[in-house]
Amino acid sequence: MIKLENISFDHCIKCTVCTIYCPVARVTHLYPGPKQSGPDTERLRIKNPQLLDISLKYCSNCKRCEIACPSDVKIADIIQTAKWRYSKKEFRIRDFLLSRTDLMGTFGTIFSPVVNFFTHLGIVKYFLDLIFQIPKGRTFPNYASMTFRKWFKEAKKYQNKYLEKVVYFHGCYVNYNYPQLGKDVVKVLNALGKGVIITKEKCCGVPLIANGYIKKAQSHGRHNIRVLSRALPHEQARIVSASSSCSLALKHEYPNLLELDNTPIANNIAYITQYVLEEFEKGNIPNLKPLKYTVAYHSPCHLERMGNVAFTIELLRKIPGLTVKILHSECCGISGTYGFKNEYYAISQAVGSELFKIIEEANPDFVVTDCETCKWQIEMNTKYTVVHPISLLAKAIE
Amino acid sequence: MKFDCIIIGGGISGLTAGIRCVEEGLHTAIISSGMSALHFSSGSIDVLGYVHNKVVYKPFEALDTLTGTIAQHPYTKCGKPLIVEALQFFKQECETQNVYLFDNENLNHFHVTALGTLKPTYFSQRSVFNEDVYNRFKSMKKIVILNFEGYRDFHPKLAAAQLSKHALFANCEIIAKSIDMPQLQDITRHPHEFRSVDIARIFENEENVYRIADVIRLAAEGADFVVIPAFMGIHNFNQVHNILQSRTRLLIYEIPTLPPSILGLRIDNALKSRFAQLGGVYIAGDKVVRAESNNDVVQAVYTTNHPENPLEAKFYILATGSFFSGGMISEFNNMYEPVFKLKLHYEPERNKWYSPQFFYSNSHPFLEYGVVTDENLRPYDSKNNIIQNVYCSGAILAHYNPIREGCGSGVAISTAYKAANQIISLYKLMR
Amino acid sequence: MKTLETEVIIIGGGATGCGVLRDCTLRGIKAILIEKNDIASGTTGRNHGLLHSGARYAVKDLESATECIKENRILKQIAWHCIEPTGGLFVTLPEDDPTYHNRLLESCKFAGIDAKEISVKKALAIEPNLNPNILSAIWVPDGTIDPFRLASANILDSVERGALVFTHTEVERIMLKQNQVAGVQCYDKIAREYFEVYAPIVVNAAGVWGQHICETAGIELKMFPSKGSMVIIDYRINNVVVNRCRVPSDGDIIVPGDTVSLIGTTSRKIPYDKIDELVVDDDEIDILLADGEKLIPNVSRTRVLRAYCGVRPLVAVSGEMDGREISRGVVLIDHKERDNVQGLITIAGGKLMTYRLMAQMTTDLIAKRIGNKKRCITHKMPLPGSEKRVGYTKKIKYFSGIPNSVVGSTHYRHGERVHNILSLQKRNYGLICECEMVTLGEVEYAIKNLKVKDLVDLRRRTRIGMGPCQGELCAYRAAGLFTEFGEFTPDTSTKLLKDFIEERFKGMKPVLWGDGLREFEFTYWIYQGLFGLGLVEEEEQ
Repeated sequence: MIKLENISFDHCIKCTVCTIYCPVARVTHLYPGPKQSGPDTERLRIKNPQLLDISLKYCSNCKRCEIACPSDVKIADIIQTAKWRYSKKEFRIRDFLLSRTDLMGTFGTIFSPVVNFFTHLGIVKYFLDLIFQIPKGRTFPNYASMTFRKWFKEAKKYQNKYLEKVVYFHGCYVNYNYPQLGKDVVKVLNALGKGVIITKEKCCGVPLIANGYIKKAQSHGRHNIRVLSRALPHEQARIVSASSSCSLALKHEYPNLLELDNTPIANNIAYITQYVLEEFEKGNIPNLKPLKYTVAYHSPCHLERMGNVAFTIELLRKIPGLTVKILHSECCGISGTYGFKNEYYAISQAVGSELFKIIEEANPDFVVTDCETCKWQIEMNTKYTVVHPISLLAKAIE
Repeated sequence: MKFDCIIIGGGISGLTAGIRCVEEGLHTAIISSGMSALHFSSGSIDVLGYVHNKVVYKPFEALDTLTGTIAQHPYTKCGKPLIVEALQFFKQECETQNVYLFDNENLNHFHVTALGTLKPTYFSQRSVFNEDVYNRFKSMKKIVILNFEGYRDFHPKLAAAQLSKHALFANCEIIAKSIDMPQLQDITRHPHEFRSVDIARIFENEENVYRIADVIRLAAEGADFVVIPAFMGIHNFNQVHNILQSRTRLLIYEIPTLPPSILGLRIDNALKSRFAQLGGVYIAGDKVVRAESNNDVVQAVYTTNHPENPLEAKFYILATGSFFSGGMISEFNNMYEPVFKLKLHYEPERNKWYSPQFFYSNSHPFLEYGVVTDENLRPYDSKNNIIQNVYCSGAILAHYNPIREGCGSGVAISTAYKAANQIISLYKLMR
Repeated sequence: MKTLETEVIIIGGGATGCGVLRDCTLRGIKAILIEKNDIASGTTGRNHGLLHSGARYAVKDLESATECIKENRILKQIAWHCIEPTGGLFVTLPEDDPTYHNRLLESCKFAGIDAKEISVKKALAIEPNLNPNILSAIWVPDGTIDPFRLASANILDSVERGALVFTHTEVERIMLKQNQVAGVQCYDKIAREYFEVYAPIVVNAAGVWGQHICETAGIELKMFPSKGSMVIIDYRINNVVVNRCRVPSDGDIIVPGDTVSLIGTTSRKIPYDKIDELVVDDDEIDILLADGEKLIPNVSRTRVLRAYCGVRPLVAVSGEMDGREISRGVVLIDHKERDNVQGLITIAGGKLMTYRLMAQMTTDLIAKRIGNKKRCITHKMPLPGSEKRVGYTKKIKYFSGIPNSVVGSTHYRHGERVHNILSLQKRNYGLICECEMVTLGEVEYAIKNLKVKDLVDLRRRTRIGMGPCQGELCAYRAAGLFTEFGEFTPDTSTKLLKDFIEERFKGMKPVLWGDGLREFEFTYWIYQGLFGLGLVEEEEQ
């Protein structure tokens, strides 16, 4: 039965606005759209779970419907919850592996040269496609040879010289695939006069949720809430993350989807650009050298859902010399592990095509975005390099 | 974050005010919780369609009557010169994004509804009203109303029957038809969600448009005028309209039908991209939940997504709309304005909010409920003090009925323009 | 003037009238039913749709309770597609008399109702939304029944067996030839014409309106109408029937009905001349919501879709009493014996639950009068749709390709007849009503086969416009289909649309606040602002 907290579908006025903004429904008619999959059929599922339409699996959880909804209906949450609450979970090795970012990361970084070599081999891709239904067109992110955490062991030594400390939730991607972003975050925070604390965090749970491993995601969530809250040096201290999806998980998915109590950390979490901008507005601005680039900014869906896009844009505008072209808000299509699955690959590519087109039209020096999976998708489909706004800022810091 | 002006509400009114403010150099943010009523609108701009339930032909003359009799009416607070200026401003801003609005030389014209009734309006998009439509209209002998097979949200026969009753169409043959569109074969795989946007996206592809044009020409059989439901493209509508008209040699006319409204969507897109182009900050999907004030001056607002981080500005415009849009909340036996807890004009007894019938001639009282303001559109707080740096615009205002008077978009634009103007002059003074 | 001849005329298309029609037809008696409005549009369709186990009557009215549980078991066999055997709870709140619990248990035992005491913990496991402060709980075999489908299935079966049904046709008067019934004079409200039907027997099954029917034959029959109001909640807030364990009173039951829940019921005496203009009073809403909240606290957080009321058809046996006090027992009057009018039979009182039994009693009397020797078989003859009992899973598999929500909902509403409705043609399962999953195929089937004359009739057959949006999207879509599938002009379709929106508004009015008001504002924008439906002039009559 339904919980008091989960009745947002009751507010749906049937205005149909969400159907306009759903990127998946735009490209495929296999998906009947957020209105139908969310609030409309939720009433029916409450009556009888057998009325679940399997077509809701096509939802990529980009949450654009929630941004569009004038009635505050948590459409994507309803759909995600329905996926695991009302349907039987079948075990798939692929989904298991894709969702265990930490497990794969540990393995990947240890054997990084071998793994990176093999995942780019045509024949390996062919077999991945055949055996695991992982599309052969998909490019895999490389694994780093040294994890961020290992690197930080060194960096940790000089964090104590800063009086004020910030907890940094780095996430799996920074740790295993792209430690450079983590290094940039540390550089920026240090430049602001803040020391960095990292905790024994686990994967935030986003890939687990997407693949239906709710119990596992809940246990990760509980762990993270515990370690993060313990690490807080004082009540007002901040927990920053440079991943839009990790931030969304900590802030929204934990209470709304996983039904976890995140109050010990809820008000401390800030997406990194918001935190940095706040410091800037307080006058805490490090010396910035001009960056004479034209960049195109793509706003990731989950950052939009968190309402943080404006902060990133404002921050970018504070970098001297930088010309920022704001791309029309479009979903890149990858949606985490969604684009790594054969059954959704074509949809994922079709969704992104609109964005790729406008990037080409903007013809920037490079693309800026906050999300790691958006980065993979854009780099795979366009000729442009994608950088994180914080990396850009780090570059400007002398 | 700090701004010069924060506009709460991203509908037609908020966007108009926002564009006006950024154009004058104010660092402006719009905070919008969900998409606006433009998505369900006719896409025409009504200035004044009815006074005392009588159709208005000369809106600016009728304005004088209206402002002369209802002192509290938002139009009275704006005054005719400002309304005229605001409308021109709006038209020009839309033009920058290639949405062209046409008027009937200061007179109202009529647009045809999905049921074949005629509604007076002031500005319409090119596919609804322009000089060609006006001229051809007089000599027209045959109209064909078309629907695309499988589209459930339009019934041409209903429109045709109603339209033919009108004296204007007495000498005109009106035919209703359904046509097959080959591109629709695929779409009907899931007829669950088969809406105007789905078809509009088919029109986005130029190749399809040529094929559709041929189907339309065949179906039209010597008509002067072809009417289709409004889904002639979301972004490239001008081009689609041109191709369709030149290839069929017919006048192609659009009717807005069940939501979502493509005609409204075009205006929404135009205003949003104009605002972004000028450097405005549009925060979508966030809701202002409370404000912090000091001596009747609002210092900051807080949102659902950022309950602890203030968004600060020197000036605020409240353009949160009516009940639907969450501008006002009604409860079992109470109504209130959720952001600033402003003084509202309303009846406390629930049974006074509505009329006995749905289509009651005098409409419904609750549509006239809203925020009470001074002549400068500044609202009062619950203690009856004027809030110094907040202005209200659009459907949240009291003392007018957008549907009965046919003036919703006109009021939204005019009051937004007035609110923005005042902020701009104060801002300039401060500098 | 058109004239018709038959053996039996049945006045009134409520459950009882429809039941009599079917019983007659099954016994080979030629019959015609005349209904002034639509099937199940009166009292039958205006209750909370409870499939009584009899427990609600057990303490005070043993006879009714026994009848109920007997019919309960029969209906589960012959009309399973109109029924959901949800089960029910009787729960005692802290403020209630705790002794009623045991009285109820004992009375149920006496009446043969399978009631059993369960722990509070178990009750909360069965119904997690229940008020956790309840003191005790009893499980009873309550269920829900859809009166529209039930009545409609009776009609469908009769018509398929050759009976004639005239809806939207008013009986002007009963024609007498000396002391013998000759037939009735009717007025077809849609075609706007009079016609006459001749028959030796007329059954007055017009419920509370039966007083008027009798008057046209010069007979006095006194009804004591009592109004009962209910509110509908947006979604199924409970999955089993929740009763309050106390002497029956206002606001003591919440019934899950298809996709919604209903809170019932109030009881107020009303004068007979007001039975056609009933309104739900604001204070009734207050009572129902306040009491509903005590049973299920979620009520206060949920959108209220509508409020509506019905009128109980209580026949005065002697003296005036409060509506709830009069026995709901069956009243079968042979006017030959009572008023010396041969051929006129009145069947009244009773409950939806006992409609079949009432029909059987009436038809037994008819059979006796006309010398028909056949026995009643309605207790073992399944209604159309209930011929075979097939679960969701099988149906969903059978129609694979069509979304489960559509197959399941259609099957739920029409039982086995789902095969006459759904087809794998894509157009067929395009949705017209998105809240209740009513497809184009279902609308077509209803318009062509189920005596649908307007959008309100269509709603009763399909649930179109009964979901959260109350017709905002589907009303216009469905209106156009009347021109497509039926013999309706476009102008008629537009008029039907306007009438339907007004009808929906009637039930929304008393509960216009919160999301209900938002929904109404939105609907008003669409139908008045965008469509200008109010500008359509009504044809002059």
